[in-house]
Amino acid sequence: MKIIVVLFSLCFTITTFAQDYKFGKISKKELEEAFNPLDSSANATYLYKYRRTFFEYSEQEGFQLISEIHERIKIYNQEGFSYATNQVSLYKNGNEKEDVSSIKAYTYNLSEGKIEETKLTKQGIFKTEKSKYFNEIKFTMPNIKEGCVIEYKYRIISPFYYNVDEFDFQYGIPIKKLEAKFETPEYFNFKVNTKGFLMVTPKTEQRRDNITFTNKTRTTGNFSNSANTTFSTSKVEFNKSISTYNLTDVPALKEEPYVNNINNYRSSVKYELSYTKFPQSAIKYYSTTWEDVVKTIYEDSRFGDELNKTGYYKEEIDAIIGSISDPMKRMALIFDFVKSRVKWNGYYGKYTSDGVKKAYKEHTGNVAEINLMLTSMLKYAGLSAYPVLVSTRENGVPLFPTREGYNYVIGCVKLSDEYILLDATNKYSVPNVLPYRTLNWQGRVISEKGGSTLVDLYPKEKSKNDIVMMLNLNEGGTIDGGCRITKTKHKALSYRERYNNVDEDDFIEKLENKYNGLEVSEFKVTNDLNLSKPIIESYKFIKESQADIIGDKIYFSPMFFLKTVENPFKLKNREFPVDFGYPSSSTYRIMIKLPDGYKLESIPEKVALALPDNLGSFKYNIIGNDESIQLVVVTEINLPIISSSYYDTLKEYFKQLIEKENEQIVLTKI
Amino acid sequence: MSIFILLITLSVSSQENLYTSYTIPANLKEKANAVIRSHDVYISLKSSNEMYVTEKKVITVLNKKGNDDVDAYVYYDNNVKIRRLEVLVFDNFGNEIKKIKKNDFKDVSAVDGGTLYSDSRVKYLEYTPIEYPYTIEFTSEVVNNNTAFIQPFAPVNGYFVSVEKSTYNIDFPEDITIRTKEKNFETLDLLKEETAGKIAYEVKNIEAVKPEAYSPGSVNMAPKVLVTSKQFTLEGVHTQVENWSDFGKWMYHDLIKDTYDLPASTISMIQNLVKDEPDDVAKAKKIYQYVQDKTRYISVQVGIGGWKPFNASEVDKLGYGDCKALTNYTMSLLKAAGVKSNYTVVYAGSSQRSLEKDFAAMQGNHVILNIPQEDKEDIWLECTSQKLPFGFIGDFTDDRDVLVITPEGGKIQHTKKYNTEESTQRIKGSYTISNEGAINVDVNINSKGIQYDDKYWLETETERDLDKHYKKRWKYINTITIDNMHITNDKEAIEFIEGVHFQASNYSKKLGNRMLFTLNALNRNTDIPDRYRNRKHPLKIKRGFTDIDEVEIKLPQDYKVESKPGSKSIENKFGRYKTEVIVKDENTLIYKREFIVKDGEFPKEDYDAFRDFYKEVNKQDNAKVALIKK
Repeated sequence: MKIIVVLFSLCFTITTFAQDYKFGKISKKELEEAFNPLDSSANATYLYKYRRTFFEYSEQEGFQLISEIHERIKIYNQEGFSYATNQVSLYKNGNEKEDVSSIKAYTYNLSEGKIEETKLTKQGIFKTEKSKYFNEIKFTMPNIKEGCVIEYKYRIISPFYYNVDEFDFQYGIPIKKLEAKFETPEYFNFKVNTKGFLMVTPKTEQRRDNITFTNKTRTTGNFSNSANTTFSTSKVEFNKSISTYNLTDVPALKEEPYVNNINNYRSSVKYELSYTKFPQSAIKYYSTTWEDVVKTIYEDSRFGDELNKTGYYKEEIDAIIGSISDPMKRMALIFDFVKSRVKWNGYYGKYTSDGVKKAYKEHTGNVAEINLMLTSMLKYAGLSAYPVLVSTRENGVPLFPTREGYNYVIGCVKLSDEYILLDATNKYSVPNVLPYRTLNWQGRVISEKGGSTLVDLYPKEKSKNDIVMMLNLNEGGTIDGGCRITKTKHKALSYRERYNNVDEDDFIEKLENKYNGLEVSEFKVTNDLNLSKPIIESYKFIKESQADIIGDKIYFSPMFFLKTVENPFKLKNREFPVDFGYPSSSTYRIMIKLPDGYKLESIPEKVALALPDNLGSFKYNIIGNDESIQLVVVTEINLPIISSSYYDTLKEYFKQLIEKENEQIVLTKI
Repeated sequence: MSIFILLITLSVSSQENLYTSYTIPANLKEKANAVIRSHDVYISLKSSNEMYVTEKKVITVLNKKGNDDVDAYVYYDNNVKIRRLEVLVFDNFGNEIKKIKKNDFKDVSAVDGGTLYSDSRVKYLEYTPIEYPYTIEFTSEVVNNNTAFIQPFAPVNGYFVSVEKSTYNIDFPEDITIRTKEKNFETLDLLKEETAGKIAYEVKNIEAVKPEAYSPGSVNMAPKVLVTSKQFTLEGVHTQVENWSDFGKWMYHDLIKDTYDLPASTISMIQNLVKDEPDDVAKAKKIYQYVQDKTRYISVQVGIGGWKPFNASEVDKLGYGDCKALTNYTMSLLKAAGVKSNYTVVYAGSSQRSLEKDFAAMQGNHVILNIPQEDKEDIWLECTSQKLPFGFIGDFTDDRDVLVITPEGGKIQHTKKYNTEESTQRIKGSYTISNEGAINVDVNINSKGIQYDDKYWLETETERDLDKHYKKRWKYINTITIDNMHITNDKEAIEFIEGVHFQASNYSKKLGNRMLFTLNALNRNTDIPDRYRNRKHPLKIKRGFTDIDEVEIKLPQDYKVESKPGSKSIENKFGRYKTEVIVKDENTLIYKREFIVKDGEFPKEDYDAFRDFYKEVNKQDNAKVALIKK
């Protein structure tokens, strides 16, 4: 009975999806479709997306990874034309390189009710040597018109079998049918990591397969026989496991503002090699757990060995730490020393490239060289210092134990059970204030014994922005006064990055133009280079047209040019969390001297708004009389990330905040 | 005696020490991120198909932003061989700290984002400075078989860079004639030495320049000597060119003519397509539409293909091509229908760069099509766009000198200029304010001319992006909700019509028994041109526009007007601003606004007045109406 039910439902499935996905079997219906019925805003749609990745053995090459790609795309309008151009990035390293073969591609158009096909010829396929590590194959389809369907297939042959490209299941356009297969012989053991909002579970099965070897035996000749070569073949049988993914009607993935990295939400599966076990050889482990990952990374000579080198800096560090015994001071001195000694060359990496010694000597290095050197020096100085593996914001969140999950390394010092995080690649970074690129979930602290613990990379303490402004409002609506702004942590870091190294006049002009014609004088920045103190900006200003004079009344909003005008959240709804990077607060203390001859007629009410679950708050406190107004406004966002379930609240919060900041005071002529 | 020698040595070394920032004159440090200490270009034209270019540049980088001005790179391809490439790095004391040889340069394909393929490659320096200032000495030598482009003498290559000394030498055999054109050296001392078979230039002491808004394009301000050879070779094709007429003849006969190879079937199809059209313009319109439906822009640059269009038959088959190919294809279809048109070379981009009228040489970076007209303005077609209306070129190629190529030769012509009067945006709208202060808007916006160009792309935006776009356009209204958007792109009349309906709460602010709102809800000017403490460049308004608004305002039932802004009228050489508020009845106001900015060029002294004009407009656009409870 069971069997019948299964059979029946199978038949049923076949009849409902009677679409033909064989190469070249394009239907009129596909060509006639004017828009995607499930997403009418789609400019193009994958009608079919197929990838099969498997291992192939040859005696010359050994195991190679083969990927067969077959895609059928419907292009609805001109905006979708970009999908008619395809590029394939091919990795190479030394003599080994990935390659593409058997490209076959057609464009289909409907012409007077008939299907007309155009073949992609060889001259439409271009191979470019992009750089030392990448080649690129590009092709664009011929005869593209609105409504056409394109279809292509090709094979990618890769010698890098330990690196299987991620299977992505979601793109900027919808997918009607997706099929993906991954086949691995028993000698390879992979770990599967799935992420994203879609539920994907593969169907797995086992099959037998075999490899035929040709053996060549050469017998040495003696006086009666000449030398002789005999051929024999032998067959090796093995199991292979096949995972198949079948998805239908996958929606498009759309960008939203304040999203850390859209790839964190893209549905995909990553196969990470955990070990290989070939007949008659020992198991070779790659990584399966975080411990393995840490071990593999640590044992790589470009990591652990580099960390343990001390000879090259001994003398300088001895001289620096000399008589200082306070660990905090030692840390600070070494951190500053590394920052001034070695400049970052712009390259990321958890592994060194030319090595710490060379970086030290040449005063320039990648992330690993700089921060492993730093960690090593701190250890040498007797501190409990460890490297911390990090995944940068662009690399996405490391959800599963993979080596590629981390692409960056920083240092940390453990002092009285607290971790102090350090990144010496940025001149203006200070302990626990890391460059923005590294503010991404958690890092992994690697201890001497190869163990690891997690540490939060998102800052807990708020970055502050304190503004004190004193000004006079005259009866013509012009304001003049002074302003003093104090910034801490990340706010200070980003200010220093903008201010230092720029011509001061230009910086002032930018400031003036940001506030649409503010006139600034006596501009001064304090602690621009003293990183241990908050940065302070102060200036005097004049600005016209800051009040409306209507009849015998003056109307103005007391935050003047500092008020928020635009709600950053414009979309109706949102799927992904809002990522601010770090918690922050701003405090405005504004004192306004009112023009003579006017009395205060009305003043906005005090208000306090709070986001639920202590996510943030807005306080607006105002008092005044006929001479002056005093206003204190405090806004706080307490968490670096806010879940999308709070989106509506957050949007409303900003709306009300803007309304309040724009509320007006009314003065009447006496 | 020994003291004497020492003195001599000192004076020699002080002259030569360009490798430290201490020797930079103070005026050259101002506004500079980097200073070119010395730059020597030596060009040796051995024949019309062999050119050696040797370059040595010493540049001191003062800060991080100056890193981009080092420009240590060399492009190469099959016709260009790099013979030498080397960089030396010096610290601020003038000590050599690093040497980078040819093989340590990064070597990548020079394909930019918009190109499918190009055979051009580039070798560039990748260097991480370890301190500022530092100095780079860059030496290169290349040999080039193309002589169609001779590197000009361009001492300044960007903003925020000053030049201590720059020289340029070119030598050439007797049978070659070199022409030069000097531009924008008015405030500089340009030394020129010309002898048989040799021309040399030298310039010193050029101060750094910073970019300013509303300036003429940098091409019109940067000093430059253009250099070209009468006899030259391009990808193996040799020619002699003295003026634009020759140049056009050469292009037509050697590069274009033999590409008109449409299959007979296409020719008869086209003839059939236009057979009922009354005149040439109608035929051209029909064919332009056909090309827009059939083709798309894809750039492929290989060998002579970088200069010569693909064959028309190729485009006919593939349905794509670059600007040359698509223009040429359109031209061959027009030809099939008996309509005359001309291939036209242009500098594309909104900066309105003209081809040098009096200096015939390889110029331009784009190709469009010209359809000559008897007694009205010629028609220009942008053949790479699938969306632009027939005859509309927008700010990409408007109002500039271009080279029109005919079988009889080339000639310089001027493209369509979008006048202030025709670049209009007319707003006709109405809004209601409720007793609670909410605003409810119904607006119709009609745009023409260059203002059409600003908006036509909205037609194909998704609803989600369009929603975002309008929320941005009216960003000064807090958190609006859009109920309805309707767009009409009238390609025939070249008019873009938007109908939008939206609302927002608390537009009008309640203050006790009063209410206050900004009259101009739909077209507030929010940008004031940047202020410069010391304006250096002339004021240039590239394109003028005319905005005319008429909005009917329904006031809340329970309120009446306490005060309203008076009418305002400003007229000056930059344009006109005029507003008027009419009381239609107790609860209805009519707001009329006219804002016109004319194109033109003015001396730098006028910039402040221009800015004040915008400031005043900004202020008036924020004028408010006060209401009081009845």
